[in-house]
Amino acid sequence: MGSVLSIEKLTKTYDNGFAALKGVDLSIRRGEIFALLGPNGAGKTTLIGIVCGLVRLSSGKVVVDGVDIAENYRAARKKIGLVPQELSVNMFESVWESVSFSRGLFGKKADPAHVEKVLRDLSLWDKKDVNIRALSGGMKRRVLIAKALAHEPEILFLDEPTAGVDVELRRDMWEMVRHLRESGVTIILTTHYIEEAEDMADRIGVINRGEIILVEEKHALMRRLGQTRICVTLTEKMDHIPEGLFDRPLSLSPDGASLTFIRMGENDGKDDSLARLLKNLVARGIDFASVTSSQSSLEDIFIDLVGKSR
Amino acid sequence: MNLPAVRAIYFFELARSRRTLFQSIASPVLSTALYFIVFGSAIGSRMQPIDGVTYGAFIVPGLILLTVLTESISNASFGIYLPRFTGTIYEILSAPISAFEVILGFVGAAATKSVILGLIIFFTARLFVSFDLVHPLWALGFLVLISVAFALFGFILGLWADGFEKLQVIPLMVISPLTFLGGTFYSIDMLPPFWRNVALFNPIVYLVDGFRWAFYDIASVRPEISFGMTFAMLSVCVAIVAWAFKTGYRLRS
Repeated sequence: MGSVLSIEKLTKTYDNGFAALKGVDLSIRRGEIFALLGPNGAGKTTLIGIVCGLVRLSSGKVVVDGVDIAENYRAARKKIGLVPQELSVNMFESVWESVSFSRGLFGKKADPAHVEKVLRDLSLWDKKDVNIRALSGGMKRRVLIAKALAHEPEILFLDEPTAGVDVELRRDMWEMVRHLRESGVTIILTTHYIEEAEDMADRIGVINRGEIILVEEKHALMRRLGQTRICVTLTEKMDHIPEGLFDRPLSLSPDGASLTFIRMGENDGKDDSLARLLKNLVARGIDFASVTSSQSSLEDIFIDLVGKSR
Repeated sequence: MNLPAVRAIYFFELARSRRTLFQSIASPVLSTALYFIVFGSAIGSRMQPIDGVTYGAFIVPGLILLTVLTESISNASFGIYLPRFTGTIYEILSAPISAFEVILGFVGAAATKSVILGLIIFFTARLFVSFDLVHPLWALGFLVLISVAFALFGFILGLWADGFEKLQVIPLMVISPLTFLGGTFYSIDMLPPFWRNVALFNPIVYLVDGFRWAFYDIASVRPEISFGMTFAMLSVCVAIVAWAFKTGYRLRS
């Protein structure tokens, strides 16, 4: 799979001396959904801003679908759509006017049929003549997405698209993102809702303090860094763990009612450690009432990673 | 050249004026009509003709410019300030469009509106006084150049302003006084020699004088100098705008 966006040694130092990006290398594959995670102030928005033309880079190189943004910004920007984090919408224009304006701005000939399709896909069609400022926050968010899609971009940036959006709209939005991906659009999103990245993304990048700490396939990441916590509740309390019960670190709860151990990696169905523990318990005549397991989420992994790099 | 983008900005801006038609057209026309009633008819009837031109007719070019200057500035400054204020500027910055095309759209729309307004006031004035138009093409040329120059100035103002009050202050506190002192209602030849020389530092004197020359073939300054000054103002504004975009001034961090 070819790279649709490649970023090399990108740095950005603002006029006030703040180094927002410190040598970022990143390559986005064509047609993937890439989630960029990072705490506030990590450099996510600056990174997106540079690729889209809102922020000037200090050094480094950004190539969009084979075009260097410094050499041919027109060709590069035509391929990109941006949904910004802030709800920045026109105050006095209707939905239709605003979305049609976006299409023209990106150099495309007027195409009412395409604009209509975009508005219908985002359930905005019945609002097309409404003044944008009269719309709710969620609807304004849809308008921003419609504007970004008006010129048929190949790469779509979604900067915190679901911040302040209700459940229904979030579901619609992810449905739409999947549709776009099927039609060949590459999607790069930042989000605070890590479970969304977990649901949606093909690959995950984690950025902290202006540096990419990790880029990995979501499943590989979960396998490598995920953990499963397995807890066995006993029918009778025990005061200490019998010698040689288990070949892995095992902990007894303070009240002596349950045994817990942690299995590393995503559950791939091949690890037989739980079976071995249970067999040993049965062999020693220790009865148990229940077994519960909980898998760590991407969120736990993320917090762990960002915490370590601090 | 990204023509669809220029067209999009241009018509987007003109549409904004269409929505505020009353405010954009009716109020300047009304205030000009008041000037004609008060200065042209009431006071003007007691005034001596200036260089053979009746006072009511003498003030016509200055009155047209008074409105054209303020409207060019306020339209262009508001046009670029509003997206900065609401944040929608992100879209223009991320679009495949050059600085020149952005300016062509915004300034073109503001200047178009000013020229139309100037023509409306011209015909309104006809209802109140009769006057000549000796060099109609030069008059149109001055009108267009001045509209473009001040729309550019307004664009710079809109880039520089960090609040709505600053948008108001410059036209109100700088441009209006300079226009009033620039010979809108009198000929600078009527001033004592010292103040006449001071007046020559006011760039608006040249605009009004040149424009009036196109109407009546009378001038306090040579028309070539007036035309040259108008062109110089335009060039200075172009240079500032070019610098602003090159450095990303107030637009790109």
